Amino acid sequence: MISSLILCLMMGILIFFFVPLMSNFSISSVIYAVFLMYLYVRMTFSERKKPGSSAKYRSIFQITFAVGFCIAFIADLYASRGSMAITEGAMSSAEIPFCHIAIPQVLVPLLITKNIIFPARIAGHYASVASMLLIWLVCTIVLGRGWCSWVCFYGGWEEGFSKAGKKRRINLLPKNKEIREFSFGFFAFIVLASLCELACTYCEWFCPFKLVTEFSPIDSIPSLIGAVMFIGLFLGLVVVMPILTKRRTQCSALCPFGAFASLTDGISMFKMKIDTDKCKGCMKCAQVCPFGAIDIKTIQDKKGSPELTCAKCGECVRACPEKAISIGFRFDHKCGSSAQKSKTKFGRVIQELLEPAQLFRFAAFSFSVVMSSNFMTRAMNLIVRAIIK
Amino acid sequence: MILEAILLGLSTGTYCTMYCGPVLIPFLCGSEDLRYKRNAGLVGTFLGARLVMYFILGAVFAFLGLLVNEFADPLMVRKLAVYAYIFSGLSLLFNSLGVKFPWGCGENGGCKSPKLKRIGNDWVTAVFAGLAVGLHVCPPLWTAIVRSIFGGNDISGLFYFVFFYIGTLPFFIPLLGIPFVTKHLPALRRIARVTQVLVSLYFLIFLGLIPLFFE
Repeated sequence: MISSLILCLMMGILIFFFVPLMSNFSISSVIYAVFLMYLYVRMTFSERKKPGSSAKYRSIFQITFAVGFCIAFIADLYASRGSMAITEGAMSSAEIPFCHIAIPQVLVPLLITKNIIFPARIAGHYASVASMLLIWLVCTIVLGRGWCSWVCFYGGWEEGFSKAGKKRRINLLPKNKEIREFSFGFFAFIVLASLCELACTYCEWFCPFKLVTEFSPIDSIPSLIGAVMFIGLFLGLVVVMPILTKRRTQCSALCPFGAFASLTDGISMFKMKIDTDKCKGCMKCAQVCPFGAIDIKTIQDKKGSPELTCAKCGECVRACPEKAISIGFRFDHKCGSSAQKSKTKFGRVIQELLEPAQLFRFAAFSFSVVMSSNFMTRAMNLIVRAIIK
Repeated sequence: MILEAILLGLSTGTYCTMYCGPVLIPFLCGSEDLRYKRNAGLVGTFLGARLVMYFILGAVFAFLGLLVNEFADPLMVRKLAVYAYIFSGLSLLFNSLGVKFPWGCGENGGCKSPKLKRIGNDWVTAVFAGLAVGLHVCPPLWTAIVRSIFGGNDISGLFYFVFFYIGTLPFFIPLLGIPFVTKHLPALRRIARVTQVLVSLYFLIFLGLIPLFFE
């Protein structure tokens, strides 16, 4: 109890600093701060009653962030350019905002040519790209692929649509392995194609989120083909498939950043662990995993942890009736429950504070607060203004 | 002269890897029963075919008098690159469909097309892909061709170009380690096959046919 209060207090300070204080205590920022605080408190205390129940609040946050991000982003584009289309001026003056999905595409060409191939705001300085790379590095060390289920401002779209349908119409569980292979194959293809062309291939042809951010104007047959691809991929992989499969299909099959984050997840501090002694093999975890990271074979072979593509969303923890799944430190081979309990109250509080699940949730939500504060405050400002008008 | 040619090759060899990497890496990683000798043979065949295409290009350019300006016509270079993508895309696609499609739809790994087995053979693919990639005229290559043509007599020009090409080869040495990687990471083979199909379709459609007909 005391440990939860301490964590809530610390989160409160963080939210206060990054949300209302940074926005001069505007009404929207205060509302957003209250919303964040509510989510974190609910998350922390509900987890005490039922492990994994915080996944619901993570989901609410991510959906809200995705919608808010797009509102703020599109409003910015209209304010600066008058449309969502990328103008030639913006392109030639390298005024395209840098996005984390481009990171795996720019890294290899950066190593070879010492140039960043993304036309971001890098004219004269590399600030935006460098800051995004730094955020990615810190995030990888702390969260690993947890970025996708906690911080990614696109993932919320799929998260939302995957919750929309009541019943799963298509079961992709037997195809998990093939989907994983495809995602890594697609990732390798994107890296190689970007290297060959010295351009961000994914952004040019395959990014479904062009539809909710910015896109090239349709003024030629190739740009029309591009638009058809963006719309098709968005409707197919972000809307229809998540509804039918109750999974994040774009994230698990197409997103190059997701595959890249899976590969670099090995350096992160946290890892989902399956207690093979407790596991009864009911496969409920595999059915609910939105990233297809638990196969029938994962359970049968008693691997002790999900596959490489696990995004630490916590859905499996919530679904497991045996409480066999938990988040732990990567290099700690003992399960959390088997650790010796402290005899003093102070010791127990410290032990609870340093529990991997608590720490991970705190770190992940902190990232979410920092990443979302600016966009969400602006989005809420716009919504409030629209309501008043 | 020899030193200059090698240094030119060494300093610009990254361009070669940028064009050849997307073709060679998935092709080699996806190969069945890839031993060191076979891998080196495939890389050598590919690079040999590429060198042959460079000689052909040099001879054709010289015959047409295109080297007089010492500058490549950007439009012509772009057209050649489009054909390079179409041919290398086709050769990778035939290889995928005929020999190593990522997933079999039948019990015996059935989706491979027996009709394409010969044309999609690994060695044939290495030759065709090498010839196709050779159609890319990058600035360092143009410099080397021009320098070799204007170098004086024919033999020294030829040597200049060969040594330039030798200068680019160290960048391909890492490819010789692919059998080691695939042996320790067997999943890589299937992933590479997926990549090969995607690269072939991308080359063929997005970098080949669309620019050819609509740009």
